[in-house]
Parts: sequence; structure tokens; C-alpha cells
Amino acid sequence: MFKERYCRMNAQIHPSDQLLQNILNSARDSDCTKRIKPLRFKRPAAALIALCICLTMAMPVLAANVEPIYQLMYQVSPSVAQFFMPVQKSSESNGIKMEVVSAYIHDDTAEIYVTMQDLTGNRIDSTTDLNDSYSINRSFGGSASCQRVGYDKKTNTATFLISITEWGNQKITGDKITFSVKQFISDKKSYADIKIPIDLSLVDTDKSTKSVDSTGGSGKNYEKYIVDGKTTALTPSQAMDGFPVDGIELTGIGYIDGKLHIQTAAYDNLDKDNHGYFYLKDADGNRVDLDYDFHFLNQFQQPGRIDYYECVFDIPQEQLGKYALYGNFVTSGMHTEGNWRVTFPLEQAE
Amino acid sequence: MKPQSLRTDDCAGVIKFYSNMVYRLAFARTGTKYDADEIFQEVFLRYIRKQPVFENEGHRKAWFIKVTVNCSKKLWGSAWKRKIVPLEETVLFETKEDIDLYNELQQLPAKYREVIHLFYYEDMSTEEIAEVLERKNSTVRTQLTRARALLKNILKEDYDV
Repeated sequence: MFKERYCRMNAQIHPSDQLLQNILNSARDSDCTKRIKPLRFKRPAAALIALCICLTMAMPVLAANVEPIYQLMYQVSPSVAQFFMPVQKSSESNGIKMEVVSAYIHDDTAEIYVTMQDLTGNRIDSTTDLNDSYSINRSFGGSASCQRVGYDKKTNTATFLISITEWGNQKITGDKITFSVKQFISDKKSYADIKIPIDLSLVDTDKSTKSVDSTGGSGKNYEKYIVDGKTTALTPSQAMDGFPVDGIELTGIGYIDGKLHIQTAAYDNLDKDNHGYFYLKDADGNRVDLDYDFHFLNQFQQPGRIDYYECVFDIPQEQLGKYALYGNFVTSGMHTEGNWRVTFPLEQAE
Repeated sequence: MKPQSLRTDDCAGVIKFYSNMVYRLAFARTGTKYDADEIFQEVFLRYIRKQPVFENEGHRKAWFIKVTVNCSKKLWGSAWKRKIVPLEETVLFETKEDIDLYNELQQLPAKYREVIHLFYYEDMSTEEIAEVLERKNSTVRTQLTRARALLKNILKEDYDV
């Protein structure tokens, strides 16, 4: 009884539309998928000015002598590059060397430069992504982010900057960190604002639907239409010919209960993370974004697993002919596994 | 059933999905819309700035809960907050019953309210709450028990908690 009353009371509490929109605008403005972590200046102005003078005087000498990774560090973080302490511990597996080059531990933040070099082939490229495939064991709780900051084609080496921030603005304590990678993807292809060759005026109410268990999703009406994890999806059909994204298939489009559903499928996707989303544009370029989306599977285990993704638009069927279908997609062509693991000491910078 | 997989590069989707959870937890802890607004912005601006990577959706949810609680603590600990007198806020709940419940909950310490919220609204176990709040499980159980007892006292055992 308490639970029901408490939930009913909470259901009336939500952020205002304006507040939510402001945050969404901030996210859009920051281009958060590509953004480089901003530098934070906490030191007094005098120290900062002195540092700038030192760097200005030192840079020509440094630039002439340091290795590429250090040049890169000065490009990415010019004001703090000199604070990075060399680590230079490496681990080799499957013909690929991972090296923790340097680290800078200050206050609640640890920043670590890591390189991955393919010693035997070309599995490391300018698109190599560690995003969901690294782990950091440490004695404190916090959040981490990883961005690729450089790629050297001559040596097949990609450089990553890992940033870890301890929760609660607490100074990082502990004596070591273990950084490990078990897999990564490369040969990524991006399809941005790509037009899907399909005549939307021919889309009809879909007769064949099925109840599915959603494994995730988003959108303002996700919670409204996914009830206890269940929702109605298009029954997957044969892949549409001519869908312009390799690694993703269009397996359905049609109306269910007055809403436009568009479904894609990706096979054995755990190793690739092929994904994307759709939107509609009219002749004037006005864009209609999805109402909500969800994912479901045919089975959890590979091989044979199919990841389905369904976008749902709140657009009347009689108006659909005025729109064209567009999408943004990312696919990867190569998946490499190994066991790379480096443990290194933590030292707070003075 | 909560989603297990949101695309890590769909920043807007993540924000929309967790917006109510963050806002309601912030409101549960602070009790005012003004403070909840402030915390809501701070939490998502941190998310946008840091773009943390998570092993799974459970970790992402835990991150949002943790940061929301930390931002609430930070807000209440700030010198500004300590020196101001809060305005009376009209909370527009639909029924007198809801208003009464809200008022009674405000009598509880914030740390009890957050445990109540995570247990009853987010359906988290005491073990999960302990992990995300970095407290001992026994501490969380004690806080939950005390909060229930206080609610029973205040509400004259109206509620079957």
C-alpha cells in the first residue's frame, strides 16, 4: 500500500519540458560523442601564468626531441602534459602490444595515455575503438571515459586517453591501477545522414506483429509503450534489397496502432556493435525524430543471435508520403580479441 | 523491466531515459522542485562533460544514482545553501493524500528518504542500494527499518510499509 501511494505521488514529479530541452540542447551543442575532455584549471592564476611562460619557452626544444606520443600529449593537453609521469609498462597478446605510456593523477582525476600497436598486421587503424571493451580495476569508485587521440599509420599505433574521475570529488587514493583490454573493434564505418531508398507513400498497416521482450530503448514515450518489458513489434521479414548499410538489414516497416515502426537487424552483433537510428525529413529539410525506440533479440547467445532495433514515429499515415527516410549508422568490420593487462602504481602529482 | 542496453553514443536518448529517475531521486532527497532542477542540470552536465563509459546499463544507472546523491549532498553542504532561507514552495500534487504523504516524508532525514526512494520506487534491493551508496548493507537495512518506523509513527500506522 505504501509502495503504491509512494509511486503514485512520484509519478506526478518530473522535470519541466523546458528544463529537459535545455539539457538536450547542451548535449547537442557539446557533440558529446566526439568531444575532448575539457581541461580544468584549478591552480592559482599566478601559477598558471608561470606555467604558460615555461611551456612557451620549453616547447621548441621539446618538440624537436620527444617521441611522437609525447608530441601528441602536448597537442592534446598542452597545459598539463609536463605533469604526466612516465609509466611505460606493456603487455603483448595476439601480436598486439598495449602500453601504458604515462599517467597524471591529480585530485579526483586520473588521466592515462595508452597505446595499442599491431606488431604483425593492420588490425589497429584510425577507427579502432576501446569504448566498451576496456576495464579498470582500482580501489576507488568512479566513472571513466576513453577517447582515441591519435593514430600513427607508419607504426600501426593508436593512442588513447583514459580519464577516470572518483565519485564525490574525493582525492584519489590507493596504490595501483590495473588497466586491461580483452577485445576491440576496428575498421569502423560511419554512415551519416544517409538517405534510405524507400518510398514511404507505399508503407501500409502491418498485418504481422509479435509481442517481444524489450532489452532496452529510449525516447520520451518508451515507458508508456513498453509495459513490464513487453511491447508489440513488427514480425521480422526478409531483408530489404538495397539497404545502403553493410552489416545492418532493414527487416520491416509498417504501421502498428497508428504509429510508424521501422525495424533493422544485425547478426552476431556482440562482436561488432553495428548500430544506428532513423529520422524523417520533408522536402524543406524539416526533421522528425523518433517517438521512442527499443531493442529485442531472437536469443541471447551467439552464434545465431540477431539484435533487432525498432524505431517508432508518431506520424500520421496520410502525411508519411511527404517525408523521406534518413539515418545515421556506425558499423565495424573487424573484431580482435586478446588479453592485455597492465598494473601500474598510482602517484598523486605534487 | 528496465532497459539493459542503451547506445552509448545516443547522448540524448540516455538523458531522456534517465531524466525522470534523476529528477525524482533529487526531489526525494531535497524535497523542492528548485533544488531538484539544480541537481538535475548538474548531473546531466557532468554526464555530457565526462561521457563516462559503462560496462552495462546497470552501471550507468548506478552512476546516475550516485552522482545525483552526491550532487544533492554538495548542494546542501554549500555555503550558499546554508545561509539562505528557502521559499515556501507549492507542490502541486493531485490529492490531499499525496500532499500529506509528501509532508510526512519531509520529516525524515534526507539519507532515509533516499533509501526509501531507491527501495520502494526504484525497486532496488538493500544490497544494490548499499553498493551504489557505498554503505554497508547492514547500515542500509537499519536506515530502512528506522525510516519505516518513523513513517509508522508519523502516519499512525496508516501505511502498510
